[in-house]
Amino acid sequence: MTRRNNPPYTNPKPCEHLSDYKLKHGFNGYKSLQKFIRTTPNGRTSLENPNTKVPTCDSCNGYRGRFYFCLVCSSISCSDHVLFHNQSRNGHDIAVDVERAELFCIVCRDQVYDPDFDKAVMSKHRIDMPNVESDGKSIGERLCKRKKSGSGFGVVDQMRDLKGPKESALMRDQRAKSCYPLGLRGLNNLGNTCFMNSVLQAMLHAPPLRSYFLTNQHNRETCRKRSVDRLCLPCDIDGIFSAVFSGDRPPYSPAQFLYSWWQHSANLASYEQQDAHEFFISLLDGIHEKEGKIRNRNRENGDCQCIAHRGFSGLLRSDVTCMTCGFTSTTYDPYVDISLNLDTSNYSMTDVAKKPIKPNESSSISTLLGCLDLFTRPEKLGSDQKLYCQNCQERQDSSKQMSIRRLPLVLCLHIKRFEHSLISKMSRKIDRYLHFPFSLDMTPYLSSSIVRNRFGNRIFAFEGDESDISTEFEILAVVTHSGTLESGHYVTYLRLRNQWYKCDDAWITEVDEEIVRASQCYMMFYVQKMLYHKADENMSHLTTSSKEEALHRVAGFS
Amino acid sequence: MYDDIYRRGSINRPPTPDAEDDQIQEKQLTFQEIIDIKLIESGEKERLKELLRERLIECGWRDEMKALCRAFAQKKGRDNVTLDDLVQLLTPKGRASVPDSVKAELLQRIRSFLASAAI
Repeated sequence: MTRRNNPPYTNPKPCEHLSDYKLKHGFNGYKSLQKFIRTTPNGRTSLENPNTKVPTCDSCNGYRGRFYFCLVCSSISCSDHVLFHNQSRNGHDIAVDVERAELFCIVCRDQVYDPDFDKAVMSKHRIDMPNVESDGKSIGERLCKRKKSGSGFGVVDQMRDLKGPKESALMRDQRAKSCYPLGLRGLNNLGNTCFMNSVLQAMLHAPPLRSYFLTNQHNRETCRKRSVDRLCLPCDIDGIFSAVFSGDRPPYSPAQFLYSWWQHSANLASYEQQDAHEFFISLLDGIHEKEGKIRNRNRENGDCQCIAHRGFSGLLRSDVTCMTCGFTSTTYDPYVDISLNLDTSNYSMTDVAKKPIKPNESSSISTLLGCLDLFTRPEKLGSDQKLYCQNCQERQDSSKQMSIRRLPLVLCLHIKRFEHSLISKMSRKIDRYLHFPFSLDMTPYLSSSIVRNRFGNRIFAFEGDESDISTEFEILAVVTHSGTLESGHYVTYLRLRNQWYKCDDAWITEVDEEIVRASQCYMMFYVQKMLYHKADENMSHLTTSSKEEALHRVAGFS
Repeated sequence: MYDDIYRRGSINRPPTPDAEDDQIQEKQLTFQEIIDIKLIESGEKERLKELLRERLIECGWRDEMKALCRAFAQKKGRDNVTLDDLVQLLTPKGRASVPDSVKAELLQRIRSFLASAAI
């Protein structure tokens, strides 16, 4: 698909007729139109003459089809007669689609775009108008500012020095294992701790976290001296990193870490099965508790600089719109992961162009993109959830829409597979298969995209075009769940240097990507593309033995 | 008694147009047109359109149409596509793929409207 070379929102060049019109009439037509512009709370704009409720064609009196409002003489023509109108009058080339408030060139018989027109239309919407400073450029030009392009790492196709057997046996052949990349080591199950092992495997290879601990930024010696409190999750995590990246291959038992974590999350301390997502959150929380104090000492405001937040934290935007007056109130909330409901629409994306598809057919697959669409779709809040509107000064029916204001370095997407019904007090697991991509572009889910789409095909700069955000992600790890709510098993698939590895507690094996694609994903870790390839490069230049030395020197562990 | 009235054909004849009507060149509106205008004037048409939009987005119909447009634009070339092309392309497929449940819901709404508008 697409538009690698085209920025998502370019200002299309005006046709000659539009240019001529602008030269001759300037903004007069647009300004006189403003009194007819009517907007609905959900972003639709149309032209409406309060005197004539039903628009009719000046030529044929018809009231069906599309109507075009001539910007020169204000007459209205239906699509059958608009050409006639243009041919019988000189220069009446540009019109406005009445139902959509969009520009139309009669001669070109096509839609045209003008940022100044869109600005005139947008000024009628009740949104927070940003203070857009004009630096001489038009809105369209400013919007065209290309996002910072990648620094050219490209797709790194690493050649493996040694080829291990595809169906590598488990404990038998240590030599086969020695050709695995550094940092792959099984984790023993200490009693239903697969929920912990699976998340740890992903975290061990998340670039920001991995660099942080392998470069000894949390030094256990210093930490022990600094604080009296013996409990320190980051220290124990550092211990795991040391052990896993030491080059030793026999599976490791993260007992010390488990014990510390039990201290930290006392409510989850048991040998019962736990939820991997819950563990992930508490893990980040544990890191933040300890690191946050140290890292944020000199900063009063601003974002937390602890490694947990630096790696995983982003910002969500929530817009609540009053369905009566259209007033929108916006709030921002930080997140370390995004929980998504499974998209269960009856709809298949396969081969749409080639064969006719009826949405009623049961060939429907849930996709991650579908879930993200669902997440960012406007949601009409029920009439039992009326929210207070500042403008109307009373509770009104509202609509809520989420979007992503800031993306993290590592994006954790959590699929809500465990349903808890308040009515029946029962929980159940949703086993439905979810298709997910290996490469993910988050552009359509950014606040700028979502808010812009709300108002149709407008060329308009909204606050903070996140042109400095990189939106392309590569999959790093997939935590999968199999089984039931009460009795299930977590397995993590890791992608290192373009090879997939299955991490099933103590057993690490190479697998083909088809296995991964077919698995039941529960949590997905996507890494920003640049970071993903850079991290790969960093690790691949070392052979196993020299890596060990490097680690001994740098990490300072015995 | 009423049965007699209904059986008499003279009752069922259209009324003789008044003299004034001949001078005004007004088009006689069909039943369908009357309903249509009533729908627009009362704002119900707008509400129905909004409902239809919502349902068609929910079931993925709009995404399907978007994908069709994209494929078409890729094949034909971005700068060679006009609005008319797209309308011609989408209309048959679009009409055919509206889910029955959506059609049923809208018909129900229109029926209720007709009943309440006492036409």
